[in-house]
Amino acid sequence: MPETMVLVLAGGGGERLSVLTYERAVSALPFGGKYRVIDFVLSNCSHSHLTVVGILTQHAPISLNDHIGAGRPWDLDRREGGVLILQPFTTRTHAGWYRGTADAIAQNWDVIEDHRPERILVLSGDQIYRMDYRSLMHTHEQQRAAVTLAVTRVPSSQTPRFGMTTIDRDGRVTELIEKPERAATPFASMGIYLFEYGALAEAMRPGPVNLVLDVLRPLVAAGERVMAHEFAGYWEDVGTIGSYYHSNLEMVAPEPRLALHDPRWPVLTRDEERPPVLLGAGAVVDRALIANGCRISGTVRRSVLFPGVVVESGAEVVDSVVMQDAKIGPGARLERALLDKFTRIGEGARVGSSTPAALQDHAWLEGLVLIGKDAIVAAHGRVEPPAVVGIGARVQPGSGGYVGPGTQVPSRVWYEDVV
Amino acid sequence: MSAPRYAFILAGGQGNRLCLLSERRAKPAVPFGGKYRIIDFTLSNCVNSGIYDIGVLTQYRPSSLNRHVGTGRPWDLDRTRGGIQLLQPALGSADSDWYQGTADAILRNLVHLRRRRAEQVLVLSGDHVYKMDYNVLYAFHARERASVTVAVTEVPENAVSAFGILETDGSGRVIGFEEKPRTSRSRLASMGVYLFDRDALIRWLIEDARTAGSSRDFGKDLLPRLVARGESVYAYPVRDYWQDVGTVDSYYASNRDFLSDRPPLDLDDPDWVIHTQSADRPPVRFEHGARVERSMIANGCVVAGEVVRSVLSPGVTVAPGAVVHDSIIMQDTQIARGARLQRAIVDKLVTIGAGARLGEGDNSVPNRACPEHLSSGLLLVGRGAHLPDGIRVGPNARIGAHVAAAGFTGDVPPGGVVDGPESMH
Repeated sequence: MPETMVLVLAGGGGERLSVLTYERAVSALPFGGKYRVIDFVLSNCSHSHLTVVGILTQHAPISLNDHIGAGRPWDLDRREGGVLILQPFTTRTHAGWYRGTADAIAQNWDVIEDHRPERILVLSGDQIYRMDYRSLMHTHEQQRAAVTLAVTRVPSSQTPRFGMTTIDRDGRVTELIEKPERAATPFASMGIYLFEYGALAEAMRPGPVNLVLDVLRPLVAAGERVMAHEFAGYWEDVGTIGSYYHSNLEMVAPEPRLALHDPRWPVLTRDEERPPVLLGAGAVVDRALIANGCRISGTVRRSVLFPGVVVESGAEVVDSVVMQDAKIGPGARLERALLDKFTRIGEGARVGSSTPAALQDHAWLEGLVLIGKDAIVAAHGRVEPPAVVGIGARVQPGSGGYVGPGTQVPSRVWYEDVV
Repeated sequence: MSAPRYAFILAGGQGNRLCLLSERRAKPAVPFGGKYRIIDFTLSNCVNSGIYDIGVLTQYRPSSLNRHVGTGRPWDLDRTRGGIQLLQPALGSADSDWYQGTADAILRNLVHLRRRRAEQVLVLSGDHVYKMDYNVLYAFHARERASVTVAVTEVPENAVSAFGILETDGSGRVIGFEEKPRTSRSRLASMGVYLFDRDALIRWLIEDARTAGSSRDFGKDLLPRLVARGESVYAYPVRDYWQDVGTVDSYYASNRDFLSDRPPLDLDDPDWVIHTQSADRPPVRFEHGARVERSMIANGCVVAGEVVRSVLSPGVTVAPGAVVHDSIIMQDTQIARGARLQRAIVDKLVTIGAGARLGEGDNSVPNRACPEHLSSGLLLVGRGAHLPDGIRVGPNARIGAHVAAAGFTGDVPPGGVVDGPESMH
């Protein structure tokens, strides 16, 4: 099989993800109880035997770099190829942040050329799905395509979220329309593109910025063989608070559409060594995903808990996503809340509710409460949805211990107490 | 840069008193605490103490241990210099043969000390559950100018007969050493942790090899002889938790210690991580209708039934309506609908059929095959066994490894035995 180099676009800052992505790239967001979003794509690569993987980063890459390291969890620590982190760089004549997806690729063209791939598979690091890329490559070969796009059916109400495609009877893409109100076909482009090396090299010459607008559309317009490959499995782009929240909770559905427990296609990640989950005398758990290192003495329903979360006795966690090492104090109640790492919820506090105030300008929060990393809600504090408590912020008696609907408590710098 | 250090870990033990659990694996490879193997505690102690050069001596059924240790990566022991080496008995040189006793095992591996610059040699056992910073032992050894220091822990009076018991003078110097005495004035038991001066160790091992009638064992012969002739042998007292999980009953009890509100060891101490070889498993999934209490459940498990006061290793599934009480269930075992287990120790990859009943009935009948080790009402199911739907298995019963559903002629009475197909060896 001709050698394929993978480029994962992982530089996105996720503007719509608020405090969750102030300090990390979307791809580095914790997901599904122990993973990071990018694990899904990297595991797909590993299981599809693709072993040359460039990762293009830009926004807050520290936690992504930490996570990927030398690539060992995905068997990408290799003598030849393996994982390459491609961050923006300066030269004597040029200093360039990536201006867009195509620009990011263009600026790294030297590196890509060095690998002499015959094909280039461009992926997004912000998506949750399980796909054997070899079937896409098979379609590409059969169709003798210059470019093959993976597409998936979306409901007609959803077309304004996606880049939609028009496809002719032979599977050829004849039109690409960004986020239309209405579309001729139900096929959304998944942001997964397999290029013949020559086709992409040629397209890089004029200095394109955006991969869809400046590369794919001109190729379609020029009548190149841009073909579609339909993908029917679960696929979700976690670019909004709503999609992030719902796709996490999808994992505790009775029959999740993406089975994490399938031993034939394990999602690989950098694991921490934590002891098994410890469930105390009063623990109640119901439709929950709970990772090693958690200690549960209270109630957890329809929720996803990452390693090291402590739920004290009498506490209740309902319809929530709670990231690593958060502590939920005795008798506290969480409902429809997203808690980032190391947050602390004090005894008897109330965070979130099932009946959020309907505030038009906070519709993007979908009635949730979002608590930033390291934030503290003191004992008996209350946070009513929709609301955001910033990174390191403190909701404590001094400030009334109350955060009302539509409030965004600003983030606090971690060294504020030191200086 | 600290002084170079080297440790031998004795991991060849058969663990006869563990009955079925160590029938097909060495005792250090026996699963413990939901996701660990017993040897993980010693290996983690080494690396957490800064010892990154280790030889593991194996003999009895090493394959499971070999697979677990692998290249040593979980412990950061896959190294360019030092790291971990599995030292199995070998033929070839003049003194090659099976290891006779613990001292003999080290003697046959003396060559590994030849070019190492460590001035002391740490000799450990892979059979114990404990956390210990060996640096403190090194410091004590240097301060007392000992030739050998033995770590000791206090055991109950009625337990002395299971251990090497040391007697000390006021200064900590050992003045008596007796292996498994019936009774003793002292209750200081050897933890199987010895720190030797390198040259003294070499001298003593050679001398022991030339001593007619020696059992070639540290506890039985070598150490008592050194004490008797007044060598500088010191005892270093350890007060923290230390458990020799030598019997079925102590194995069961020490697993369950970890379910108490105050577990004897903090397994989640970020400054003293217990490392192990863990597969990539998803978080534990609790279905609607699951009921759990006082249990330890590892990643990869799917629980739809009831789990109370039990320890589940990775990948165990408990189907709806199944009930698991006071049990230890190892990796990837499947418990079908409506099955009920109590006081069962179930090895890896076992299938428990729907509606099966394990552990109910008269618990006063000891096991027919190993009455001395299986009489407290527990029951054992061997690796890969397949228990058919609706079967009843009484307390103190033993189901061998890989017994197929067709291998049962009916229910298994209390104390009953169903042997598995003969192992290749």
